[in-house]
Amino acid sequence: MNPDQHPPEDPEARFRRVFAHLQPVADYAARRGSSDPEAIAAETMAIAWRRLDRVPADDPRPWLFVTARNLLMAEQRRTTRRSQADRALARPEAAPAVESTDPAVTRALRALPERDREALLLVAWEDLTPAQAAAALGIAPVAFRVRLLRARRRFARSLSADGLPNTPDVLEVKST
Amino acid sequence: MTAMDRLRAARPAPLPAVADREALFDRIVATPADGAGARPARSRRKLVLVAAVGLAVVLSAGTAYAVATDLFGWHTDNVFVKDPRVWRGLYRDATQELRLPPGMAWPYRTLPPHTITNRTEPGGMAVGIAQTAWECYWTEAIRANDRTAERDAHSALTDLVRHHIVVAPPGSPENVAPPAGTQAPFEIYASDGGISYVKHNYALAAAGDPSGVAQSCRANRGDLQIPPVR
Repeated sequence: MNPDQHPPEDPEARFRRVFAHLQPVADYAARRGSSDPEAIAAETMAIAWRRLDRVPADDPRPWLFVTARNLLMAEQRRTTRRSQADRALARPEAAPAVESTDPAVTRALRALPERDREALLLVAWEDLTPAQAAAALGIAPVAFRVRLLRARRRFARSLSADGLPNTPDVLEVKST
Repeated sequence: MTAMDRLRAARPAPLPAVADREALFDRIVATPADGAGARPARSRRKLVLVAAVGLAVVLSAGTAYAVATDLFGWHTDNVFVKDPRVWRGLYRDATQELRLPPGMAWPYRTLPPHTITNRTEPGGMAVGIAQTAWECYWTEAIRANDRTAERDAHSALTDLVRHHIVVAPPGSPENVAPPAGTQAPFEIYASDGGISYVKHNYALAAAGDPSGVAQSCRANRGDLQIPPVR
């Protein structure tokens, strides 16, 4: 064997490192309004195991969030396909049920376009760096920074309009 | 306090720790994994090269069309359904071919507004509903220790897997369709090991362990009204 080559890692050992993110994925699903965040997290991990060669070994979190997000969207589609009467009342474009502990923040979040809200929350709630969040959304880091800038401005404006005293519109994010 | 500080402070509390982490880990790694057994990249490159040469030979023989349509039979389906009435007709036809747990009625489904899909999707949805319903029923049957109901669920799901679930070839596009003559209705699975996971869960359930089917039931049941096991 070439001494520069590392022996292939045991898949279970590698998956163990991915699986360590089970709780953050469950929390992510809960914060995005899943009716069963643990099931979403478990299914995300099952998919990660099946596709382990596609999960970035150095930083699996963006990949896991992409997968969980797809499962969440499927869950929300199922939920909106209710009875005919319910559907008549349903708005397909309605915002997902994002809840925060601050009613004004919740209202401001719901006033944002979905993709702005997600950019904001990946950084503020899931503690992703902009580079990780860009990977989770499948866009370039530069595009993500633009989106984040726009999102935080809209959020700050919306929050101000809801009675918050004027505050500096400053966002501190972890550097990549 | 800045708006972002306030947003961070308003983050909901984390969930309680996920229960039975180790059991979940063991259950997942007990299933086959495409990626886990992957060859090193260098071997894969060689394999891809050999495959590419082989494919070029086949194509240069002028048999591409025959290979795509006759030998393997999988093809892209570009016939779309746009009319909800047509969609519901296809869904209704599919429900005639499938069985639900005792006392359960087929839920109303239709094509959402401003949506198109291919003609196999309504049948696939019906298969998915039947599958989820029987998984939930099986979970309850095991918990209720109702052997007759367990056998019924096992039999129904075995039939679904054998006759109404097909696995697309690796790398297939979204609108892939199986060979003509495939018994409808069917649900198309991607070639990512998902069907192995499903079968593994059914093997567990057949051995009296409902954890796999229970998880699938919870994740997929949505608004389905599953009657209790009687």
